[in-house]
Amino acid sequence: MAVLAERLDPELLSKLKPVTLAQDRLIEVPEVLKPLVPWGGLQRGTSVAFDGVGSWSLAMAVMAVALGGQAAGQAPRQEQEHTIDESSGGGWMAVVGVPSFNLAAAAGFGVRLDRLLVVEDPGPGRWATVVATLLESVDLVAVAPGVRVGDRDRRRLSARAREQESVLVHLDGGRTWPSLPDLTFQVEAQGWEGIGAGHGHLQRRRATVAVRGRRTGVASGGCEVWLPNEHGHLAPCLEAENLIMQGCATE
Amino acid sequence: MLVVWCPDWPVVAWGVPLDEPAAVVVANRVIACSPAARAEGVSVGIRRRDAQGRCPDLAILERDVDREGRLFEPVAVALEAITPEVEVAGPGLVGFPTRGPSKFFGGDELLTDEVLAVVEPVLAGRGVCRIGVADGVFAARLAARAVRTNIGNAVVIPPGESASFLAPIAIGEIGNPELADVLGRLGLTTLGAFASLAAADVVGRFGQAGQIAHRLAKGDDEHPPDLRRPAPDMAVTWQFEPAAIRIDRCAFAAKALADELHATLSANGLACVRVAIEAETESGDVHVRLWRHEGALSAAALAERARWQLDGWLHIARAARQVGSGGSTAAYDHADAAEPDDVGVGAGIVRLSLIPDEVVPATGRQLGFWGGRAERADEVTRAVARIQGLLGPESVSVPEWRGGRGPAEQISLIPAAAVDLGEERVATKPHFVADPWPGRLPMPAPAKVSADPAAIDLLDAAGGSIGVTGRGELTSWPAVVVGKMRRRTVQEWAGPWPADERWWDVMAHRRRARMQVVLDDGSAHLLVIEDGTWWLEASYH
Repeated sequence: MAVLAERLDPELLSKLKPVTLAQDRLIEVPEVLKPLVPWGGLQRGTSVAFDGVGSWSLAMAVMAVALGGQAAGQAPRQEQEHTIDESSGGGWMAVVGVPSFNLAAAAGFGVRLDRLLVVEDPGPGRWATVVATLLESVDLVAVAPGVRVGDRDRRRLSARAREQESVLVHLDGGRTWPSLPDLTFQVEAQGWEGIGAGHGHLQRRRATVAVRGRRTGVASGGCEVWLPNEHGHLAPCLEAENLIMQGCATE
Repeated sequence: MLVVWCPDWPVVAWGVPLDEPAAVVVANRVIACSPAARAEGVSVGIRRRDAQGRCPDLAILERDVDREGRLFEPVAVALEAITPEVEVAGPGLVGFPTRGPSKFFGGDELLTDEVLAVVEPVLAGRGVCRIGVADGVFAARLAARAVRTNIGNAVVIPPGESASFLAPIAIGEIGNPELADVLGRLGLTTLGAFASLAAADVVGRFGQAGQIAHRLAKGDDEHPPDLRRPAPDMAVTWQFEPAAIRIDRCAFAAKALADELHATLSANGLACVRVAIEAETESGDVHVRLWRHEGALSAAALAERARWQLDGWLHIARAARQVGSGGSTAAYDHADAAEPDDVGVGAGIVRLSLIPDEVVPATGRQLGFWGGRAERADEVTRAVARIQGLLGPESVSVPEWRGGRGPAEQISLIPAAAVDLGEERVATKPHFVADPWPGRLPMPAPAKVSADPAAIDLLDAAGGSIGVTGRGELTSWPAVVVGKMRRRTVQEWAGPWPADERWWDVMAHRRRARMQVVLDDGSAHLLVIEDGTWWLEASYH
């Protein structure tokens, strides 16, 4: 059997494989986060939570890459000509019941506003229905329900996300979700730069990101990032690494 | 072809008297202004701030396309007294073929007098109209633009002289900025110079777009007559049961019909350049109106035109009833429309049809050019429609850029029902808002903006409260922020950035100052002071 498999054309083999599982179809994440995330991307059909001070900024950066906007953290915000990008589609996302989610900041991280729907106030009894409807057609649905989600709604929404291969994003760290989200990005803000006692302004923030998976446990260590860097993007914090390396060299 | 053009229709639709300065502004640029404003130096295309600088009393109006469409219908109705073949090109622009009417009234000049006589009472002194007569629609439009009011209200180009009329006109009028730019750089600065090129050369170099432009420049119609085919029977119809009297119900049907018609046409490789919108009322009246569009009507454009048309008819029916009951004497009401619910029985629409009247082979300007993208947008549009059915038409919105200083002012949400999700929307691109906005907060923007800001106290080390002086300086050194429950030490701070907004307007005047603080828990916030009270406006979450 094994011999036969070796002799077959790899292209044919890939066709012979069973239907692609949802977990094989990944949603792209920013380059910096790839080592932290199991499989190197967000699995479709799962739920993802962002927790800690600065987590909304991280969520925005992740959304930007997921929707296929200009890659955040690369060259300072140049107006890229979207020619190929435009035709290849890219994802859609929706924000439900989070009026304080600042879209201007999201756009600053590279989220494409032409791929964004907003339901500001879904009303108390309709929240789950609206989210379920959106999970059917868009790739990411960002929520922060003010009250705890019932277990029935959780099952319904999880099933819907799985079927439709979309991702539910909890902006409240998954606190209102009755079970643990599949993936939690834990952000710890380390301090701002550019601001002093009465001078300058907020420019960039250093933060550490750790990832906790429901099934995989805590990923090894965290990583230090600029959230945002001086260009308003998510970027690896190279300075910190350099400092450590210099420290090693002097020892 | 005779074209009636009502200049600055967006302003006229608001019912602004001619002697009041007003302007309609889109994306910070004036797109239309009243004659009074023009006399003060306001012109189309200048920035809002410049316009207000030239004319401080200028009333700034938002654009309301639906209202423009609705209120233009009476003009088309008035022209029906002259000819049944009235075709609307858009709010403010309507035309009809002159051959029959011109003979009937004894010449083009007499015809224009007649048109003026029927249109002016409808405008009721709130707007002006200009008339152009020429061989083709394009030339007639430019003729209407060439009207100088001190000479008359009409410019008539004799038959066969359209080309010589167009010859000295600048190439920029061709209606295709990209092509006009290239032609200008090639030294072809007038329509005449472009028209004198051989058609084969133009097609060889510029393709389809060049061919159309070349035809226009020669004074011909956009599509050569032999290309037009009699429209196959592709009409789509919607029956209302019970009769529809509310525009939202009609609009829903119009959208569905437009999608259906568009799908049928594109399956046959056709695009529609002129469509007849036909409605039958409960009392058996049948209304028909032709709508023309250069290029081709997309599904969304079709639906939009049908909505304007139906809204216009319902509006006229309502106004007529009010006249009948002695309620209002105006032919149509310029004030805000009354609630549609108060419409009595008898005006309801029982049938709506969209009939493609003139079709051309589709050339790829159609939606769906990007393949998957349009399909995906359709799927999203369906989800939006379901949620609108659940929560109401305004419940789903999409963001657009607006100018502004504060974090919450830079983006505004508009109902998703008002846009076509499959089309490219320029207002969602960051460069949509022309710089600069002096006093805008430095990047990055705070991720979380309080929907309901909380009042806080900002104290100095001695516990005294802190204000901002008229010169934009803090009265003391901030040390502590006291919120409802918590008390935090200020570690770093910057600002204040004062914003003195709309000082020219007593009602809307706001004087605020913002500052950034970093607290001892590492969190950063944006505070704003107004009338001596500090608010937690946003957090850098």
